[in-house]
Amino acid sequence: MLRMLVLRDLQKQYTKFRLGYLWTLLEPLGMSLVLWFVFSVLLGARALGLQPYLLFLSVAILPWWWFTKGIAASTRVFRRSGGQLRISLLPTEFWVLRVLLVSMIEFILSLPVIVIGMLVTQYWPGPLIVLFPVAIALQFLLMYGLSLLIAAGAVVIPDLARIVRIVMRAMFYLSPVLYSISNIPAQVQPFAALNPLVGVLGLYRIGWWPEEIESAGAYLLSIALCLALFVVGLVVFRRLEPRILKEA
Amino acid sequence: MARLSLTPDLGAIVEFTDAGVRMPRRRRRRGDGRRQRLRRIAGEVRRDEVWRLRNATFAVAEGESVALVGGRGAGQEALIRLAAGTLIPDEGRVRRRVEVVPMIDVARSLARTYTVRQNIYLIGGLLGMTPEEVSEKLGGIVAFAGVDGILDKYLGTAPPIVRQRLAWSIATSTDARAYAINQILVVGERDFRQQCWTRMDRMREDGVTFLLASDSPKQFRRFCDRALYLDAGTVAAETTVPDALAMLREARRRDPAAEAESPEDGDETSGGSDAGSV
Repeated sequence: MLRMLVLRDLQKQYTKFRLGYLWTLLEPLGMSLVLWFVFSVLLGARALGLQPYLLFLSVAILPWWWFTKGIAASTRVFRRSGGQLRISLLPTEFWVLRVLLVSMIEFILSLPVIVIGMLVTQYWPGPLIVLFPVAIALQFLLMYGLSLLIAAGAVVIPDLARIVRIVMRAMFYLSPVLYSISNIPAQVQPFAALNPLVGVLGLYRIGWWPEEIESAGAYLLSIALCLALFVVGLVVFRRLEPRILKEA
Repeated sequence: MARLSLTPDLGAIVEFTDAGVRMPRRRRRRGDGRRQRLRRIAGEVRRDEVWRLRNATFAVAEGESVALVGGRGAGQEALIRLAAGTLIPDEGRVRRRVEVVPMIDVARSLARTYTVRQNIYLIGGLLGMTPEEVSEKLGGIVAFAGVDGILDKYLGTAPPIVRQRLAWSIATSTDARAYAINQILVVGERDFRQQCWTRMDRMREDGVTFLLASDSPKQFRRFCDRALYLDAGTVAAETTVPDALAMLREARRRDPAAEAESPEDGDETSGGSDAGSV
């Protein structure tokens, strides 16, 4: 059932535009190029991130894209499903899982962008690339927790969608997408690691840049946070479930 | 999943124990979303909650069909959703032995951007069928709803009457042993209604349990064994169908204004006065 809903949603997205699937590749690719141009060519900031910067960027931008899309979608989950929720004998979490899976599949479909990046820069990953799927699993867990939290919260506080949008904008700069965690002063690093995305993005990158493992402590902290958020999300969702059903 | 959990050793099919639920009061006033928001800021609309159902204690035995008799907004919809588990009680508890399929405005849940076939899987899935089960039933549903010709067309183009027929056919094909129905016992034009009655009667003979809310006394008399009389969110009486209908007539005679006012409270049960509309 879930599979059918997810497939149908994907199908809808890909038939809406003429270039269909290509957009999944072009969007993050375009964004990587723009950021690479600004931060590498225009500003010439060699100290930022690790080399080759183009690949460094795109490895983090794809997960970031998944993150923003998924979270943004989760604020709308219960907005339009009113009638269906009233007759649904499926667990309420299905609605959240559905949008999360759609965004995740889009992310996986966009992974060729990284391959393009590797071909262009001729920079190949080492053995630690095995942590890449772990990063995906971890991000899924983090996003599931957050989505449950936000989807339920958005029912109670309609303004949450806008707040989330601003927070996401801030998160983009606060997360090591443009830079590496090792770029920031050592005494600030523990605080930076309170951002659960630090660990996730670090695990994505570690295959190409094993020196990232220096910040392993920071990663562990944020991985623990991912797990904690997941539990909090589940609990809050359970608490708010009666409310969600009432508003349906 | 707590809200949908079953209690296999329960004596009754559905059992309410002192159950109550508060729902947000929705005053439907004119104006778009922005105007509504301004009203809220101005404190004109409060997000208060009212008890839609309270202190409901009763049990429905296997094979019974129970009429929910009451004026508009007396709590029928809340009761039906609680019975099916698509609403969680704020107090008390609701237990059920088997899955109770909610038939509430099913046609509204059909997705215009899905094809008819996809809709059958969608609604079937929502109502607790696995895709394999739906595939098995597909032929029957299609034949009953009379949608063979448009099976792979998008539903958006289909006339409302087809949507009703489709929704009804899917909902009654679930093999469930209990249904909670609001307003849509039978739908469609005369011929189709006749088919609906035939199928419903057959299900009743098979021992399927029904909870039925309707505006039509005729349906209650024809279909139900006994009645719950609902008054302002309480189960005021458990009695026979004619008695409950008499109580409703009496209440209406005493206070004719109550019927005219209650739509202001925006209860969902005010959907359609004619049983044929969904």
